[in-house]
This record gives sequence, structure tokens and C-alpha cells, in this order.
Amino acid sequence: MSTIHPISIRDVSKSFGKTHAVQNVSFDVPEGRIFGLLGPNGAGKTTTIRMINYIIQRDSGSIRIRGEEVGPESQRLIGYMPEERGLYKKMKIGEQLIYLARLKGMGKEEAKERIRYWLDRFDASDWHQKTVGELSKGMSQKIQFISTILHDPDIFIFDEPFSGLDPINSELLKEIILEFRSRGKTILFSTHRMEQVEQMCDDICLFNRGRVVLTGNLREIKKRFGENTVLLEYDGDGSFVDALEGVRINNRSTNFAEIRLLEEQDPQELLRTAMAHARIHKFELVEPSLTEIFISTVGEDQVRKEELV
Amino acid sequence: MNWKQIRLVMGREYITRVKSKGFIAATLLVPLGIVAVYGIGIFIALWESDVSYEIAIHDRTEVMVDSLVALDPELYTDFSDTPVDSLRTFVQSGAINGFIVIEEENITENRPLEMIYDGSGGLTFLSSVRDDMRDLFREERLRRAEVSEEIQQIFTTRIGLDSRILTEEGEEKQDDTAFFSIIGLAMGGIIIFSIVGYGGYLTRGVIEEKTNRIIEVIASSVKPIELLIGKMLGVGSLAITQIGIWLVTLLVLMASAAPIAALVIGMMEDRTVTTEMAQQELPSFMMIPEIEASLVIYFVLFFVTGYFLYSSLFAAIGAAADSETDTQQLALPITAPIMISYFILLQAFQNPDGMLTVVSSMVPFFAPIIMITRLAIGEVPFWQIALTLSLMVLTFYGTMLLSAKIYKVGILSYGSSAKFKDIWRWLRQ
Repeated sequence: MSTIHPISIRDVSKSFGKTHAVQNVSFDVPEGRIFGLLGPNGAGKTTTIRMINYIIQRDSGSIRIRGEEVGPESQRLIGYMPEERGLYKKMKIGEQLIYLARLKGMGKEEAKERIRYWLDRFDASDWHQKTVGELSKGMSQKIQFISTILHDPDIFIFDEPFSGLDPINSELLKEIILEFRSRGKTILFSTHRMEQVEQMCDDICLFNRGRVVLTGNLREIKKRFGENTVLLEYDGDGSFVDALEGVRINNRSTNFAEIRLLEEQDPQELLRTAMAHARIHKFELVEPSLTEIFISTVGEDQVRKEELV
Repeated sequence: MNWKQIRLVMGREYITRVKSKGFIAATLLVPLGIVAVYGIGIFIALWESDVSYEIAIHDRTEVMVDSLVALDPELYTDFSDTPVDSLRTFVQSGAINGFIVIEEENITENRPLEMIYDGSGGLTFLSSVRDDMRDLFREERLRRAEVSEEIQQIFTTRIGLDSRILTEEGEEKQDDTAFFSIIGLAMGGIIIFSIVGYGGYLTRGVIEEKTNRIIEVIASSVKPIELLIGKMLGVGSLAITQIGIWLVTLLVLMASAAPIAALVIGMMEDRTVTTEMAQQELPSFMMIPEIEASLVIYFVLFFVTGYFLYSSLFAAIGAAADSETDTQQLALPITAPIMISYFILLQAFQNPDGMLTVVSSMVPFFAPIIMITRLAIGEVPFWQIALTLSLMVLTFYGTMLLSAKIYKVGILSYGSSAKFKDIWRWLRQ
């Protein structure tokens, strides 16, 4: 415990009435990395994020930002984009951004300068006098990013950042997140779509039903689970896939299957079975996907699959 | 509590609203309305003084006509030598407005007089002619009955009733009860209007932040209580700005009404008319009332405490509701006391010292409306004012605590409006 992490959470719990939204959650977000908070809808991710942002208060435990308990001071160190995004509809973009930056403690002139920089960068230089009502959805999403990053904090928190984004803004956001990491900033984001973000995260924390089920470095976790997943592409009758035993099929379409081998199954045996039934285009042994890791960690009967999509 | 944040929130609330088209329109339209009332008032006052009527008196008794003409030479003219048929044609051609034929029987036998006229003048005109006739015919009969001068005097006098108020300090002063009743009613009315109107602004503002979903962004920078106080102060300043503009307009108009009227009359009638003369022509509501400074201070005091007492609750309603249509039911616990104070106000206006009025003027939720009316109309013991204000401040503290709790939870619950059951649960959390 000698290093001071940007975000450090210990034994945090939060209940709403009889609902235990978050129970005994602990994890650390290391400096200069991208940290993924993963789990199905309703797992407690947003509640945790709101507590880190000091929007709601924890019932017990400790949440430290750079070693200090969260509070009005820590709010200024964080750039936060909530899942429910929004701006003032009738307020001019320029005034609105200045207001939001000043609430984060920035000076007026400095804010103006930063706004000019970011509007230019997002090809939005002439939006200053416009209101959000006049902008398209994609355009207002850009303004939302700018409002989050304007005060140039060292820690960014994005709650489900990719949901509802158009493809262009999705790419833009990914680009910015990677750029921030290369500048040494710490990024935490949550998502319920695990595959979408696998490439981006350095570390992850898996949530299920208000508890942390797995946390750590993504590479190490994957390595620990071993290369025991088969990606299979084929032509012909795929019904043999359903007949396989000692496996779990996670991702299946007409000509494709992602098959996790359980109980020390021999991949060569599977290949032989497959060749006997269909024409094989691709057979690859890989590390399991995050979805598979999640399922095998919490147990198949604990997961409602539709929540993971 | 970070006052810098509160100031930022307050500034935004104030500036975005002050610049909005709706606010500018409302702020300008009301003074325009007042100007229109004044313009019409001056116009009517001048118009009225221009009109004169002419009634021909055909007196066959020869005893009445002189006193009538002496009474009002412009109105009554002696036409006793002109035949009645000619008088008819005069009325038809518009040369005179009408005529009255007086005969001996009208004096001796109580036979009603008859006026033949063109129908102009209206009720006021008719009743003034009737009054003149009654007075003069009564005098004539008294004279014929040879009643002494003294008794004639008795019949003509009408006793007046002047009232003066004796204060506790033993001074006598002018009794303006009627006038100040109106002022009290107006002050109570303004406070009701303001609490409901500006409270509504707050409710809608909070709902807007919820439906826009910007509230979570704001909540990641500002404490809910700071946001709440900032909003209350912002809308409060807006109220003071708007009402201030209206009052200044009203005062300027009141101050300039008489001089303008004097100028206009002077130009129209080509003579010098002093302001004092013009003042006689204008209706009294157009003049600057002489209101004691203390009443103005009390008004501001009760306006401000009343606004704060209610405004946090209006914000809490906005936080609990998910859309504007859902606010009505939630607002009931707040609108009910305002409605009740409205009815008490109507009572207080007529009977400012009644038990109901006195007691309710000290109940914090009624006080801003009822106490100011009592203060305007009559004397209120200082201990009652002090007690009421202290109770209001205490209640404000209570409503603020209550609202802050509802607000804090409410702003982050999206999806559906809270029921009273939910709010109760939030309060106990």
C-alpha cells in the first residue's frame, strides 16, 4: 500500500432502501492506465461511479482520490461524463461551456482559451453562439465531450461512453481516450458490452450483482485462463456444434462458433469432429473472451445472457 | 458550503432568464399596460370635462326658473317664452339636449316633473338633474309654507362624517382606512402572485435540468444544497428586478400624470392650467399615495421571507416530478396554504382586526400575505411582527432542510415522478 493510486476504493457499500446496490467493493485504478469497469446492467457500476464522483455518498467504506477521501475538492480532479448525458438546450454553447468549466474551478479567460482549442479541434469553431437545440445529436455529443475534458483533469470517468454514440464520435472518443493515456492521464470507464472495449483496457474490474468478482491486469487475467478457446469457421451443417460435450459455446452464428473447452478437453479431438461434419475454413486456439471469463468466474447459472449484450 | 459555486449558479439562473424573450416581453408588457391605463385615464378625465349639456326650462309658474339658472347657468336656460312645440324641434335638431316644463301642480300637488331629452348624458346626468329639482322644489315648498329661515336651513343641511385616528401616542391623524385597505389588498396580492409565479419558475427550472439530463454533470461539480440555494437566489433576484422595474414605471407615471394632463388641457383649451388644477380632474388611483417608509420596509421584508419560505419547496417539487404535468398533484401541499391565505386575505381586507385574521397573520405559511395586509390597514403590535418574522425564519430553516433532502435524492431519480410515499421514504433516509 505504499503507492498512492489515482482512485482507490476499499470495502464500499451502498444500499437504496432494501436494495444492496454495491457491497464491499474494493479496487485500485493505477496511474496512467485505462481501467474498465465491466458487468451486466444493474451490477452496480453506475452507483460506484457516482460515489467516486461524490454525487451520492457511500454508506460505508472509503473512496480516495489521490489519497484523499472524496469530497468537493476531489470533484475538481475528475472529468466525468455520465451515462445520462445532457446540456442546457437554450443556452449558448460558449456560455454553457464557460459555466461548466468555472464550476470545476477554472478561471473565465482560461476556460475561453481551452474552449477555442477544443472547438477548433472538433471542427466546431463557429458553434460558440449556437444553442444545443440547434445542433444535431452527433454535434451535441461532441460538446458533451468538451464539457467533460475542458478543465484538463488528470482523471477521467466515462459511464457507458459508447452507448448512443454515432460511429464517428465513437472513434473520436476512442482516439481521445488513447491520447489521454499517452499523456499520462488515468481513465476509468464502464460498459456492459465487454467485447467492444477489450482492445482498449489495461486493467479491468468485473462487477456482478453489486460485488466485484474479478479485478486485475487484463493480460494477466487472460493468460491465467489459458488458450482454451477455439474459434471455428466452417461451411455446411453446423448442428454438430450443439452436440459437443464438455464445452461452452459463447458466440454462435451460421458459419462461426466460439467454443470454450472445459475439463481439459483436447482441441485436436474437437477439430476431428468438426472435420467429419463440415468444411473447416479456420481453426484457431485463443485466450477466452471477456464474456467467457465473466461467465466462468460467476458461474453459468448466475448469468442472464441477455444482460451481456 | 462554497459560496463561489453558489454565486456561479445564481449568476447563470439570473442571466439566462433575464435575457430570455419571455422575461423581456413580460417585463415590458406590464408597464405598457400601466401606461395604457394611464393614457386612457387621462383621456377620459379630459373628455368628460369637455362635455356640457343644455336643458331648456319652460316655467309656467315663473318662480322656479331663476333659482335653477342661478344654480347651474351652463346647464339650465330660461326658455319660458318659447312654445313647447319649438322646444321639441330644438331637441330634435340638437340645439339643446332637452327641456322641462314646470307647472303649478308640480309644486303644489307633488306631480312628477317630466324631462323630454335626446337620451344623452347617462345615469349620472339624470340623477344630477333629479337632485337639483328635488332641492329647489323642496325649498320652494318650504318658502310657501312660510317656514322660518332656521328650519329651512335644517332641511338643507346634510351632516357629514369625518374620521380621524387616535394613535397610542395620543396623536390624531388622517383616517385613510379605505385607501390603505386597497394598498393592503394589493400588497398581499403581489406577494401571492410572486410566490406562485416565481416559485413556478423554480419548479420548471429544476425539471428542465432533470429532463435535459444535465443535472448529473452539474452534480459532479456542485453540492445539491449549493445548487438549490443558487437557484433560489437567482430567481429571487429576478423577481426583485422585474417587480422593481414595474414599480419604478408606476411611480414615474404617477409623478408625471398630473403635469402631462395639465399640459394637454392647457393646449386644448388655450389657457394656463396648473398641476394642482389638473390633479382635480384625474382619478385618485393615479396619484402617488403617501405611504410610510416603514410599510415599504415591511413589504420588502415579508416579500423576501415569504419567497424564501416557499421557494425551496417549489424547487423540491421540481426535483420530485419527472415532467411538468406531474407537478400539479405534488404541488398541492404548497398551493393549498396559498389558496387559503387568499381567502383569508379577502376577509382581512374587510375586517383586519378579526380573530381569524390576527391569528393567521402569525402562521408562517399565511404570514407573508396576511401580515402585510394587516400592517397596511391598521396598527399591529410590534411583538406580533417580531414573533411572526422569527417564526417565519425558523420555518424557512425547516422547509429548507426538508427541501434539500427531497432535492438531493429527487434530482437523480429519472423515469417517473415520485409519489408522496417515495418522498416520505427519501426524507427518512
